Amino acid sequence: MEIHPSTIIFAIINFAILVVGLKVFLYKPVCNMLDSRREEVINNLNSAEEAKLEAQKLKDEYAAQIQNARAEAQDIINQAAKIGEQTKADIVTEAREEASRLTAKAQAEIAREKTEALNEIRNEIADLAVLAASKVVGKTIDVADHQNMVDNFVKEVGEAK
Amino acid sequence: MFLTNVAYASAAGHHAGPLFSIGPLEVTSEITTMWGVMILILLVSFIGTRNMQRIPSGLQNVLEMGIEMYENFWTDILGKKRTRELMPFLATFFILILCSNYSGLLPLAGTLPGLKPPTSNVSTTAGLAIVVFFLVLYYNLKVQGPIGYIKHLIGPMPAIAFLMLPLNIVEQFTRPLSLALRLYGSVYGEEMVVASLAALCPLVLPLTMQVMGILFGAIQAFVFTLLASIYLEEATAVHH
Repeated sequence: MEIHPSTIIFAIINFAILVVGLKVFLYKPVCNMLDSRREEVINNLNSAEEAKLEAQKLKDEYAAQIQNARAEAQDIINQAAKIGEQTKADIVTEAREEASRLTAKAQAEIAREKTEALNEIRNEIADLAVLAASKVVGKTIDVADHQNMVDNFVKEVGEAK
Repeated sequence: MFLTNVAYASAAGHHAGPLFSIGPLEVTSEITTMWGVMILILLVSFIGTRNMQRIPSGLQNVLEMGIEMYENFWTDILGKKRTRELMPFLATFFILILCSNYSGLLPLAGTLPGLKPPTSNVSTTAGLAIVVFFLVLYYNLKVQGPIGYIKHLIGPMPAIAFLMLPLNIVEQFTRPLSLALRLYGSVYGEEMVVASLAALCPLVLPLTMQVMGILFGAIQAFVFTLLASIYLEEATAVHH
Protein backbone atom coordinates (compact mmCIF):
# COMPACT_ATOMS: atom_id res chain seq x y z
CA MET A 1 0.00 0.00 0.00
CA GLU A 2 1.82 3.00 -1.27
CA ILE A 3 0.51 6.49 -1.87
CA HIS A 4 0.82 7.92 -5.37
CA PRO A 5 0.37 11.69 -5.19
CA SER A 6 -0.28 11.87 -8.93
CA THR A 7 -3.02 9.22 -8.65
CA ILE A 8 -4.63 11.22 -5.85
CA ILE A 9 -4.52 14.36 -7.97
CA PHE A 10 -5.91 12.51 -10.99
CA ALA A 11 -8.68 11.00 -8.87
CA ILE A 12 -9.70 14.47 -7.67
CA ILE A 13 -9.55 15.95 -11.18
CA ASN A 14 -11.47 12.99 -12.59
CA PHE A 15 -14.13 13.36 -9.94
CA ALA A 16 -14.47 17.08 -10.65
CA ILE A 17 -14.78 16.43 -14.38
CA LEU A 18 -17.36 13.73 -13.77
CA VAL A 19 -19.39 15.97 -11.46
CA VAL A 20 -19.49 18.71 -14.08
CA GLY A 21 -20.19 16.25 -16.90
CA LEU A 22 -22.98 14.49 -15.06
CA LYS A 23 -24.44 17.83 -13.99
CA VAL A 24 -24.70 18.83 -17.63
CA PHE A 25 -25.71 15.50 -19.13
CA LEU A 26 -27.65 13.82 -16.35
CA TYR A 27 -28.78 15.76 -13.27
CA LYS A 28 -29.86 18.97 -14.92
CA PRO A 29 -31.92 17.53 -17.80
CA VAL A 30 -33.41 14.76 -15.68
CA CYS A 31 -34.23 17.04 -12.74
CA ASN A 32 -35.72 19.63 -15.08
CA MET A 33 -37.80 16.96 -16.74
CA LEU A 34 -38.93 15.54 -13.40
CA ASP A 35 -39.77 19.03 -12.13
CA SER A 36 -41.67 20.05 -15.21
CA ARG A 37 -43.56 16.80 -15.21
CA ARG A 38 -44.37 17.18 -11.53
CA GLU A 39 -45.55 20.71 -12.19
CA GLU A 40 -47.65 19.53 -15.10
CA VAL A 41 -49.29 16.87 -13.00
CA ILE A 42 -49.95 19.38 -10.22
CA ASN A 43 -51.37 21.85 -12.73
CA ASN A 44 -53.56 19.20 -14.28
CA LEU A 45 -54.86 18.13 -10.91
CA ASN A 46 -55.48 21.74 -9.91
CA SER A 47 -57.30 22.59 -13.11
CA ALA A 48 -59.35 19.41 -12.79
CA GLU A 49 -60.26 20.44 -9.28
CA GLU A 50 -61.13 23.92 -10.50
CA ALA A 51 -63.25 22.54 -13.31
CA LYS A 52 -65.02 20.31 -10.83
CA LEU A 53 -65.73 23.26 -8.54
CA GLU A 54 -66.90 25.33 -11.51
CA ALA A 55 -69.22 22.54 -12.62
CA GLN A 56 -70.56 22.19 -9.10
CA LYS A 57 -71.15 25.95 -8.96
CA LEU A 58 -72.96 25.91 -12.30
CA LYS A 59 -75.02 22.96 -11.20
CA ASP A 60 -76.02 24.75 -8.00
CA GLU A 61 -76.81 27.87 -9.99
CA TYR A 62 -79.00 25.96 -12.42
CA ALA A 63 -80.75 24.17 -9.60
CA ALA A 64 -81.45 27.52 -7.96
CA GLN A 65 -82.70 28.93 -11.25
CA ILE A 66 -84.99 25.97 -11.79
CA GLN A 67 -86.26 26.34 -8.26
CA ASN A 68 -86.93 30.03 -8.87
CA ALA A 69 -88.64 29.33 -12.17
CA ARG A 70 -90.83 26.72 -10.52
CA ALA A 71 -91.78 29.10 -7.72
CA GLU A 72 -92.51 31.82 -10.24
CA ALA A 73 -94.67 29.51 -12.32
CA GLN A 74 -96.56 28.48 -9.22
CA ASP A 75 -97.07 32.17 -8.39
CA ILE A 76 -98.37 32.87 -11.85
CA ILE A 77 -100.76 29.93 -11.66
CA ASN A 78 -101.97 31.00 -8.24
CA GLN A 79 -102.49 34.56 -9.42
CA ALA A 80 -104.35 33.41 -12.51
CA ALA A 81 -106.56 31.20 -10.40
CA LYS A 82 -107.24 34.10 -8.08
CA ILE A 83 -108.06 36.40 -10.97
CA GLY A 84 -110.34 33.73 -12.47
CA GLU A 85 -112.08 33.30 -9.16
CA GLN A 86 -112.52 37.05 -8.87
CA THR A 87 -113.82 37.34 -12.41
CA LYS A 88 -116.27 34.53 -11.80
CA ALA A 89 -117.55 36.20 -8.67
CA ASP A 90 -117.88 39.51 -10.51
CA ILE A 91 -119.77 37.96 -13.36
CA VAL A 92 -122.14 36.14 -11.04
CA THR A 93 -122.76 39.28 -9.02
CA GLU A 94 -123.37 41.29 -12.14
CA ALA A 95 -125.72 38.68 -13.52
CA ARG A 96 -127.60 38.61 -10.28
CA GLU A 97 -127.92 42.36 -10.27
CA GLU A 98 -129.05 42.38 -13.86
CA ALA A 99 -131.63 39.73 -13.14
CA SER A 100 -133.03 41.56 -10.14
CA ARG A 101 -133.02 44.79 -12.11
CA LEU A 102 -134.94 43.12 -14.93
CA THR A 103 -137.37 41.56 -12.48
CA ALA A 104 -138.00 44.89 -10.81
CA LYS A 105 -138.52 46.54 -14.15
CA ALA A 106 -140.92 43.87 -15.23
CA GLN A 107 -142.87 44.12 -11.98
CA ALA A 108 -143.07 47.87 -12.32
CA GLU A 109 -144.35 47.42 -15.88
CA ILE A 110 -146.92 44.92 -14.72
CA ALA A 111 -148.07 47.20 -11.92
CA ARG A 112 -148.38 50.11 -14.29
CA GLU A 113 -150.30 48.11 -16.82
CA LYS A 114 -152.56 46.77 -14.11
CA THR A 115 -153.34 50.27 -12.87
CA GLU A 116 -153.97 51.36 -16.42
CA ALA A 117 -156.28 48.46 -17.07
CA LEU A 118 -158.16 49.05 -13.85
CA ASN A 119 -158.64 52.69 -14.71
CA GLU A 120 -159.87 51.75 -18.16
CA ILE A 121 -162.24 49.19 -16.73
CA ARG A 122 -163.48 51.70 -14.20
CA ASN A 123 -164.23 54.23 -16.93
CA GLU A 124 -165.93 51.60 -19.02
CA ILE A 125 -168.04 50.49 -16.07
CA ALA A 126 -168.99 54.09 -15.33
CA ASP A 127 -170.05 54.65 -18.89
CA LEU A 128 -171.98 51.43 -18.90
CA ALA A 129 -173.62 52.29 -15.60
CA VAL A 130 -174.65 55.71 -16.85
CA LEU A 131 -176.00 54.21 -19.97
CA ALA A 132 -177.92 51.55 -18.10
CA ALA A 133 -179.24 53.98 -15.57
CA SER A 134 -180.42 56.39 -18.20
CA LYS A 135 -182.17 53.53 -19.89
CA VAL A 136 -183.84 52.48 -16.65
CA VAL A 137 -184.75 55.96 -15.42
CA GLY A 138 -185.65 57.11 -18.88
CA LYS A 139 -184.45 60.45 -18.28
CA THR A 140 -181.24 62.21 -18.46
CA ILE A 141 -179.73 62.96 -15.22
CA ASP A 142 -177.71 66.03 -14.90
CA VAL A 143 -174.09 65.98 -14.87
CA ALA A 144 -173.70 66.54 -11.15
CA ASP A 145 -175.99 63.68 -10.24
CA HIS A 146 -174.39 61.60 -12.75
CA GLN A 147 -171.06 62.21 -11.34
CA ASN A 148 -172.20 61.47 -7.84
CA MET A 149 -173.80 58.28 -8.82
CA VAL A 150 -170.81 57.14 -10.66
CA ASP A 151 -168.55 57.95 -7.80
CA ASN A 152 -170.79 56.16 -5.34
CA PHE A 153 -171.00 53.20 -7.56
CA VAL A 154 -167.39 53.05 -8.05
CA LYS A 155 -166.87 53.35 -4.37
CA GLU A 156 -169.30 50.55 -3.72
CA VAL A 157 -167.73 48.39 -6.31
CA GLY A 158 -164.37 49.13 -4.82
CA GLU A 159 -165.62 48.26 -1.38
CA ALA A 160 -167.34 45.19 -2.56
CA LYS A 161 -164.21 44.09 -4.18
CA MET B 1 -0.86 -21.19 -16.83
CA PHE B 2 0.29 -17.78 -17.91
CA LEU B 3 -2.88 -16.23 -16.58
CA THR B 4 -2.46 -17.94 -13.28
CA ASN B 5 1.05 -16.63 -12.96
CA VAL B 6 0.03 -13.11 -13.77
CA ALA B 7 -2.85 -13.32 -11.34
CA TYR B 8 -0.58 -14.59 -8.70
CA ALA B 9 1.92 -11.88 -9.37
CA SER B 10 -0.86 -9.35 -9.01
CA ALA B 11 -2.08 -10.98 -5.85
CA ALA B 12 1.39 -10.80 -4.41
CA GLY B 13 1.26 -7.06 -4.87
CA HIS B 14 3.51 -6.54 -7.87
CA HIS B 15 1.96 -3.50 -9.39
CA ALA B 16 2.43 -2.69 -13.00
CA GLY B 17 3.51 0.81 -12.01
CA PRO B 18 2.85 3.95 -14.04
CA LEU B 19 1.88 3.41 -17.66
CA PHE B 20 2.92 6.85 -18.90
CA SER B 21 3.17 10.45 -17.70
CA ILE B 22 1.32 13.67 -18.44
CA GLY B 23 3.80 16.34 -17.44
CA PRO B 24 4.80 15.62 -13.85
CA LEU B 25 1.77 13.41 -13.26
CA GLU B 26 2.12 9.66 -13.69
CA VAL B 27 -0.85 7.80 -15.13
CA THR B 28 -1.43 4.38 -13.61
CA SER B 29 -3.77 1.57 -14.64
CA GLU B 30 -6.26 2.73 -12.04
CA ILE B 31 -6.49 6.14 -13.68
CA THR B 32 -6.93 4.79 -17.19
CA THR B 33 -9.66 2.47 -15.93
CA MET B 34 -11.26 5.45 -14.19
CA TRP B 35 -11.23 7.34 -17.45
CA GLY B 36 -12.87 4.42 -19.17
CA VAL B 37 -15.52 4.24 -16.47
CA MET B 38 -16.09 8.00 -16.70
CA ILE B 39 -16.43 7.87 -20.48
CA LEU B 40 -18.94 5.03 -20.15
CA ILE B 41 -20.97 6.91 -17.49
CA LEU B 42 -20.98 10.14 -19.48
CA LEU B 43 -21.83 8.31 -22.70
CA VAL B 44 -24.79 6.54 -21.11
CA SER B 45 -25.98 9.83 -19.55
CA PHE B 46 -25.57 11.66 -22.85
CA ILE B 47 -27.46 9.04 -24.86
CA GLY B 48 -30.16 8.73 -22.20
CA THR B 49 -30.85 12.46 -21.95
CA ARG B 50 -30.04 13.49 -25.53
CA ASN B 51 -33.62 13.52 -26.66
CA MET B 52 -35.78 13.84 -23.57
CA GLN B 53 -39.42 12.93 -24.03
CA ARG B 54 -42.40 13.99 -21.98
CA ILE B 55 -43.38 10.35 -21.72
CA PRO B 56 -40.12 8.56 -20.98
CA SER B 57 -39.08 5.22 -22.40
CA GLY B 58 -36.00 3.05 -22.51
CA LEU B 59 -32.77 4.49 -21.18
CA GLN B 60 -34.34 7.85 -20.28
CA ASN B 61 -36.83 6.01 -18.12
CA VAL B 62 -34.06 4.08 -16.35
CA LEU B 63 -32.03 7.25 -15.71
CA GLU B 64 -35.07 9.18 -14.49
CA MET B 65 -36.01 6.33 -12.20
CA GLY B 66 -32.48 6.18 -10.83
CA ILE B 67 -32.22 9.93 -10.26
CA GLU B 68 -35.66 10.02 -8.66
CA MET B 69 -34.65 7.14 -6.39
CA TYR B 70 -31.45 8.96 -5.35
CA GLU B 71 -33.38 12.15 -4.82
CA ASN B 72 -36.00 10.48 -2.63
CA PHE B 73 -33.30 8.69 -0.67
CA TRP B 74 -31.31 11.85 0.07
CA THR B 75 -34.37 13.95 0.65
CA ASP B 76 -34.98 11.78 3.70
CA ILE B 77 -31.51 12.65 5.03
CA LEU B 78 -30.91 16.17 3.75
CA GLY B 79 -34.32 17.62 2.99
CA LYS B 80 -35.42 18.88 -0.39
CA LYS B 81 -33.34 22.04 -0.73
CA ARG B 82 -29.98 20.63 0.32
CA THR B 83 -30.54 17.51 -1.76
CA ARG B 84 -30.75 19.61 -4.91
CA GLU B 85 -27.47 21.31 -4.03
CA LEU B 86 -25.51 18.28 -2.85
CA MET B 87 -26.92 15.58 -5.07
CA PRO B 88 -24.48 16.14 -7.94
CA PHE B 89 -21.60 15.29 -5.61
CA LEU B 90 -23.30 12.45 -3.77
CA ALA B 91 -24.76 10.79 -6.84
CA THR B 92 -21.43 11.12 -8.64
CA PHE B 93 -19.67 9.45 -5.72
CA PHE B 94 -22.11 6.59 -5.84
CA ILE B 95 -22.09 6.12 -9.60
CA LEU B 96 -18.31 6.47 -9.91
CA ILE B 97 -17.50 4.15 -7.01
CA LEU B 98 -20.09 1.59 -8.08
CA CYS B 99 -18.82 1.45 -11.65
CA SER B 100 -15.19 1.48 -10.45
CA ASN B 101 -15.88 -1.44 -8.14
CA TYR B 102 -17.65 -3.33 -10.90
CA SER B 103 -14.77 -2.72 -13.30
CA GLY B 104 -12.94 -5.28 -11.17
CA LEU B 105 -15.41 -7.87 -12.41
CA LEU B 106 -14.26 -7.46 -16.00
CA PRO B 107 -12.13 -10.30 -17.31
CA LEU B 108 -8.38 -9.78 -16.83
CA ALA B 109 -9.02 -6.84 -14.51
CA GLY B 110 -5.94 -6.39 -12.36
CA THR B 111 -3.73 -8.38 -14.74
CA LEU B 112 -4.13 -6.47 -17.98
CA PRO B 113 -2.08 -3.25 -17.99
CA GLY B 114 -4.44 -0.26 -18.00
CA LEU B 115 -7.34 -2.21 -16.49
CA LYS B 116 -7.46 -2.23 -12.72
CA PRO B 117 -10.39 -1.27 -10.50
CA PRO B 118 -9.63 2.34 -9.44
CA THR B 119 -11.03 1.78 -5.97
CA SER B 120 -8.59 -1.08 -5.31
CA ASN B 121 -5.85 1.54 -4.94
CA VAL B 122 -5.65 3.58 -1.77
CA SER B 123 -4.52 6.66 -3.69
CA THR B 124 -7.76 6.81 -5.67
CA THR B 125 -9.98 6.30 -2.66
CA ALA B 126 -7.86 8.86 -0.79
CA GLY B 127 -8.51 11.31 -3.63
CA LEU B 128 -12.27 10.79 -3.28
CA ALA B 129 -12.05 11.05 0.52
CA ILE B 130 -10.10 14.31 0.17
CA VAL B 131 -12.93 15.64 -1.97
CA VAL B 132 -15.35 14.74 0.82
CA PHE B 133 -13.05 16.41 3.39
CA PHE B 134 -12.92 19.67 1.49
CA LEU B 135 -16.64 19.61 0.68
CA VAL B 136 -17.41 19.20 4.37
CA LEU B 137 -14.95 21.96 5.25
CA TYR B 138 -16.37 24.25 2.57
CA TYR B 139 -19.97 23.78 3.67
CA ASN B 140 -19.07 24.09 7.33
CA LEU B 141 -17.43 27.46 6.65
CA LYS B 142 -20.16 28.55 4.25
CA VAL B 143 -23.15 27.64 6.38
CA GLN B 144 -21.85 28.20 9.92
CA GLY B 145 -19.07 30.69 9.24
CA PRO B 146 -15.52 30.36 10.63
CA ILE B 147 -16.60 31.27 14.17
CA GLY B 148 -19.60 28.99 14.04
CA TYR B 149 -17.39 26.17 12.79
CA ILE B 150 -14.93 26.66 15.66
CA LYS B 151 -17.85 26.76 18.11
CA HIS B 152 -19.10 23.55 16.56
CA LEU B 153 -15.65 22.00 17.08
CA ILE B 154 -15.54 23.16 20.71
CA GLY B 155 -18.87 21.48 21.34
CA PRO B 156 -21.85 22.51 23.45
CA MET B 157 -19.97 22.43 26.80
CA PRO B 158 -17.16 25.02 27.09
CA ALA B 159 -15.97 23.41 30.33
CA ILE B 160 -14.64 20.37 28.52
CA ALA B 161 -13.52 22.26 25.41
CA PHE B 162 -9.90 21.33 26.09
CA LEU B 163 -10.99 17.73 25.63
CA MET B 164 -13.56 18.13 22.85
CA LEU B 165 -11.64 20.49 20.56
CA PRO B 166 -8.71 18.14 19.83
CA LEU B 167 -11.09 15.19 19.54
CA ASN B 168 -13.34 16.99 17.09
CA ILE B 169 -10.42 18.23 15.03
CA VAL B 170 -8.97 14.74 14.85
CA GLU B 171 -12.41 13.45 13.88
CA GLN B 172 -12.49 15.81 10.90
CA PHE B 173 -9.41 13.98 9.58
CA THR B 174 -10.23 10.47 10.66
CA ARG B 175 -13.51 10.55 8.84
CA PRO B 176 -12.05 10.88 5.33
CA LEU B 177 -9.24 8.53 6.35
CA SER B 178 -11.75 5.87 7.33
CA LEU B 179 -13.71 6.51 4.14
CA ALA B 180 -10.60 5.98 2.02
CA LEU B 181 -9.33 2.93 3.87
CA ARG B 182 -12.71 1.22 4.14
CA LEU B 183 -13.37 1.42 0.43
CA TYR B 184 -9.81 0.57 -0.55
CA GLY B 185 -9.58 -2.33 1.90
CA SER B 186 -12.85 -3.85 0.82
CA VAL B 187 -12.22 -3.68 -2.92
CA TYR B 188 -8.52 -4.55 -2.69
CA GLY B 189 -9.24 -7.44 -0.35
CA GLU B 190 -11.88 -8.78 -2.71
CA GLU B 191 -9.46 -8.47 -5.63
CA MET B 192 -6.84 -10.32 -3.65
CA VAL B 193 -9.22 -13.12 -2.78
CA VAL B 194 -10.30 -13.39 -6.41
CA ALA B 195 -6.69 -13.47 -7.53
CA SER B 196 -5.80 -16.08 -4.93
CA LEU B 197 -8.75 -18.22 -5.90
CA ALA B 198 -7.80 -17.79 -9.55
CA ALA B 199 -4.32 -18.98 -8.66
CA LEU B 200 -5.81 -22.09 -7.08
CA CYS B 201 -8.24 -22.86 -9.90
CA PRO B 202 -8.76 -20.22 -12.57
CA LEU B 203 -11.95 -21.73 -14.03
CA VAL B 204 -14.93 -21.60 -11.67
CA LEU B 205 -13.56 -20.86 -8.23
CA PRO B 206 -13.03 -17.07 -8.62
CA LEU B 207 -16.62 -16.78 -9.80
CA THR B 208 -17.98 -17.40 -6.30
CA MET B 209 -16.04 -14.44 -4.98
CA GLN B 210 -16.92 -12.33 -8.00
CA VAL B 211 -20.63 -12.90 -7.41
CA MET B 212 -20.06 -11.71 -3.86
CA GLY B 213 -18.13 -8.82 -5.39
CA ILE B 214 -21.31 -7.62 -7.11
CA LEU B 215 -22.91 -7.33 -3.70
CA PHE B 216 -19.85 -5.86 -1.95
CA GLY B 217 -19.26 -3.34 -4.72
CA ALA B 218 -22.78 -1.96 -4.34
CA ILE B 219 -22.61 -2.00 -0.54
CA GLN B 220 -19.26 -0.19 -0.41
CA ALA B 221 -20.41 2.45 -2.90
CA PHE B 222 -23.54 2.91 -0.83
CA VAL B 223 -21.66 3.11 2.48
CA PHE B 224 -19.17 5.66 1.15
CA THR B 225 -21.98 7.83 -0.24
CA LEU B 226 -24.17 7.46 2.82
CA LEU B 227 -21.37 8.48 5.18
CA ALA B 228 -20.40 11.38 2.93
CA SER B 229 -24.04 12.54 2.91
CA ILE B 230 -24.23 12.28 6.71
CA TYR B 231 -21.03 14.34 7.09
CA LEU B 232 -22.39 16.90 4.65
CA GLU B 233 -25.74 16.93 6.42
CA GLU B 234 -23.94 17.75 9.65
CA ALA B 235 -21.91 20.47 7.92
CA THR B 236 -24.96 22.13 6.33
CA ALA B 237 -27.33 21.77 9.27
CA VAL B 238 -28.61 25.19 10.30
CA HIS B 239 -28.41 25.57 14.06
CA HIS B 240 -31.07 27.69 15.67
